[in-house]
Amino acid sequence: MEHILKSSQLSKYFYQKKALQKVDINIEKGKIYGILGPNGGGKSTFLKLAAGLLKPSEGEILIDGKKPGVYTKSIVSYLPEGNYFYKWMRIQDALSFFGDFYADFDVEKARQNFDFMKLDEKEKISSLSKGMLGRLKLSLAMSRNASLFLLDEPLNGIDPISREKIITSILEAFNPKSTIIICSHLIVYIEKLLDYVFFLSEGQIILEGNVEDLRNKKNLSIDQLYQEVFQS
Amino acid sequence: MMTLLKYEILRRWKWLAFRYIALIGLGVVFYNRAAATPMQYEIAAASMGKFFLISLIVFVIILVEGINMLKEDLFEQSGYLTFTLPKPGRSILFAKNFLLLIQLILWVIVSIQFGSMFLKFLPLEEMSQFMSEIDLNIYPAILFFLSAFFNFVLMVQFSLTLTRTLLYRNKYSGIISVGIFFLLAYLIEQFYYGLFLVRVQHIYSEIAGEIQVDLISAGYSSVVMNIILSVIFFTATAYLLERKINI
Repeated sequence: MEHILKSSQLSKYFYQKKALQKVDINIEKGKIYGILGPNGGGKSTFLKLAAGLLKPSEGEILIDGKKPGVYTKSIVSYLPEGNYFYKWMRIQDALSFFGDFYADFDVEKARQNFDFMKLDEKEKISSLSKGMLGRLKLSLAMSRNASLFLLDEPLNGIDPISREKIITSILEAFNPKSTIIICSHLIVYIEKLLDYVFFLSEGQIILEGNVEDLRNKKNLSIDQLYQEVFQS
Repeated sequence: MMTLLKYEILRRWKWLAFRYIALIGLGVVFYNRAAATPMQYEIAAASMGKFFLISLIVFVIILVEGINMLKEDLFEQSGYLTFTLPKPGRSILFAKNFLLLIQLILWVIVSIQFGSMFLKFLPLEEMSQFMSEIDLNIYPAILFFLSAFFNFVLMVQFSLTLTRTLLYRNKYSGIISVGIFFLLAYLIEQFYYGLFLVRVQHIYSEIAGEIQVDLISAGYSSVVMNIILSVIFFTATAYLLERKINI
């Protein structure tokens, strides 16, 4: 069983706050994982550590056997929350930017994604609505032939029509050689995508398992299980 | 590296173009004013003074932008785009500072060119006497200026990066960066003037018998020191950006 990501005893502290506490996560190649939990649970922190934007306080995280760095950034496609594009950019500039820096970026695939998402290449990114921005971020991130996709709250603040488009796009872009990790608290929308889930609360994994096994064992959908776990 | 430089230019080319067009445009206006009133040295001197004031403002803008180029990526969401690129920290830092060097060279060329044009309107004898009195050697002066400029900018960039490494989203990050900068400046001053130069002067006086050279005013030791410090700050900042940063 090949692992694309392994974290052992991974901890991240921000002053007194323990954002992640001794988290052990092994991610196999070719599956879609969900890291689920309420806001402030440590989901985004975990993805940022994997993307190389944060450094662990304790423990380690390895991507394809290596610590986050230049190599891992070349095989990881990270989609953060918010508008992270440069202010001057139009959609076509972002397309060129990704094409120039990522060897695995497929420009044709990105253009097809833009058509599907109804994005106009000439439009300025700063003038896009939240829904359209979400579509753009996902179109670009999923147009890379990356080994690992890290999607941080891809559905946050997105209207229902855009949500459906985004989920369809993720499903279409997924190939068995790659792995996707989605962090979200909007379980009902992403449940159908997931193979395996981690429930993260206050920086610790409180439940994990194969989605089908959990459904059968608890006789609940993942969304219902989520409600049960986090409301108790 | 060239791709990074390309996007650094694309990111701010409008402002880049605007500031040089404005500097050259105003230089031409002031030059024409001086040329329209030959032999009236007060008007020529006033025009020259106004041009150099504008030039100084442009210099301050270049300096602030040199610091902001990195600060934006460290403290704003655009950092998620910049620091997830498969590029080493040294390339990202070099691209930003190379653009700064290009800007500075352009600024020096435009300022010296207009300066020499304005000099023609001033009384020749007095000017040549003035130039011989100050004994200005232009190339060492430019060398000192460039090395001091980059030493300053890299020290600020290091302070910002160190703050971002040690502290995560602290509302006092800006003030703490300034504090780190002044602490570094103080330590360097203590080392440079207190240890380094005094020791060099002491060695020199032992060899030569008496101190004949004022090493501080000679300036070259400062240039060497600035270059050494710039290399140290560049290397340390690049290391932090690649290995230790918390965005």
